[in-house]
Amino acid sequence: MKNNNPLSPHIQIYSWHISSLVSISHRVTGIINIIIVTLICLWVALLLFGNTNYDLIQKFFETFFGKFFIVGTVWSFSFQVLSEIRHLFWDLGYGFEIKTSNISGLMVIFGSIVLTILILMRNIIL
Amino acid sequence: MVQINLPKNSEIQKGKYYQDKTGSKNIRKVNIYRWDPSSGENPRIDTYEVDMDNCPSKVLDLLNKIKNEIDPSIAYRRSCAHGVCGSCAMNMDGKNGLACTKPHKEIKGDINIYPLPHLKVQKDLIGDLSTLYKQYQSVEPWLKISKKDENKENLQSIEDRSKLDGLYECIMCACCSTSCPSYWWNGDKYLGPAVLLQAYRWIIDSRDEDRKERLKKVADELKLYRCHTIMNCTNACPKGLNPAKAIASIKKMLATG
Repeated sequence: MKNNNPLSPHIQIYSWHISSLVSISHRVTGIINIIIVTLICLWVALLLFGNTNYDLIQKFFETFFGKFFIVGTVWSFSFQVLSEIRHLFWDLGYGFEIKTSNISGLMVIFGSIVLTILILMRNIIL
Repeated sequence: MVQINLPKNSEIQKGKYYQDKTGSKNIRKVNIYRWDPSSGENPRIDTYEVDMDNCPSKVLDLLNKIKNEIDPSIAYRRSCAHGVCGSCAMNMDGKNGLACTKPHKEIKGDINIYPLPHLKVQKDLIGDLSTLYKQYQSVEPWLKISKKDENKENLQSIEDRSKLDGLYECIMCACCSTSCPSYWWNGDKYLGPAVLLQAYRWIIDSRDEDRKERLKKVADELKLYRCHTIMNCTNACPKGLNPAKAIASIKKMLATG
């Protein structure tokens, strides 16, 4: 017999924790990173067809959207790397206490921002 | 399957508003999820104005007060009222917990009370946990032992016994499992934190002789590895246990052999 009773609300009502926020961001940045890596490969392949393509890419990076893309890419990879380190510690069996996981989650969030700024600054200076 | 939106028959409508009749100056609004199986209507949120001057401290007291004094039709499970039985598990202020141990003072603003998330509702705040109980049964939560000398005690060292601390206290209230997004999307296949913590409780028991079989049974892409360490379970547990850590321990045991 099919149960036609209503389903109680879930994601609509459940409050967010630091850990769940970092978890979903880990997934989203993972998917974004795959797309970005694919794009980078395509660009490299494009260069084989002549330097006009290089100019095209260069122009794209000079637009506002292009700059946003660079910042976004650096942040996305920074976040993924830091969050993955957190997962490695978990896999070893450490850091499951609520307090520790909250601190490590915050470290991932703020660390990814700091790392993004550091990497971008380094590129501007050099 | 990930389905963010609620199905059509589960969409929540605006319900009734019960105005305060006591004339109290210390009023709080309580929004409660209601669904009556006999009505054929969609679920609704009823709002109650409650006189807080004459209300004891816990959310369960608040519910009892509403049931006794304002609206006797409201349905919820409760039994011991001391955080031991796990009957009154529900979603309060966006977090799962036991109504009998959760002080309403900790909730800011209006008090929102829903049944445990992503369950088939039976009535009002009562969710259907039969899938979870079947899954619990599937991990065979009893001691498996071959020797049957009834005149001798089955001894366990203090050290081995201490491995069960933080596991045996679980009251199967389902707060953790129903807080887990992985369990929401794959609740029919993924065992969920409550059942996996129980599975680990028997895997780690030094007296049990079926450890290898138990591990083999649980080592499954869907049953175990749908846990992505979201940690909602540990955040939700009203007994302060750590299902996420128990699941990680099973994974570690499987990885290290």
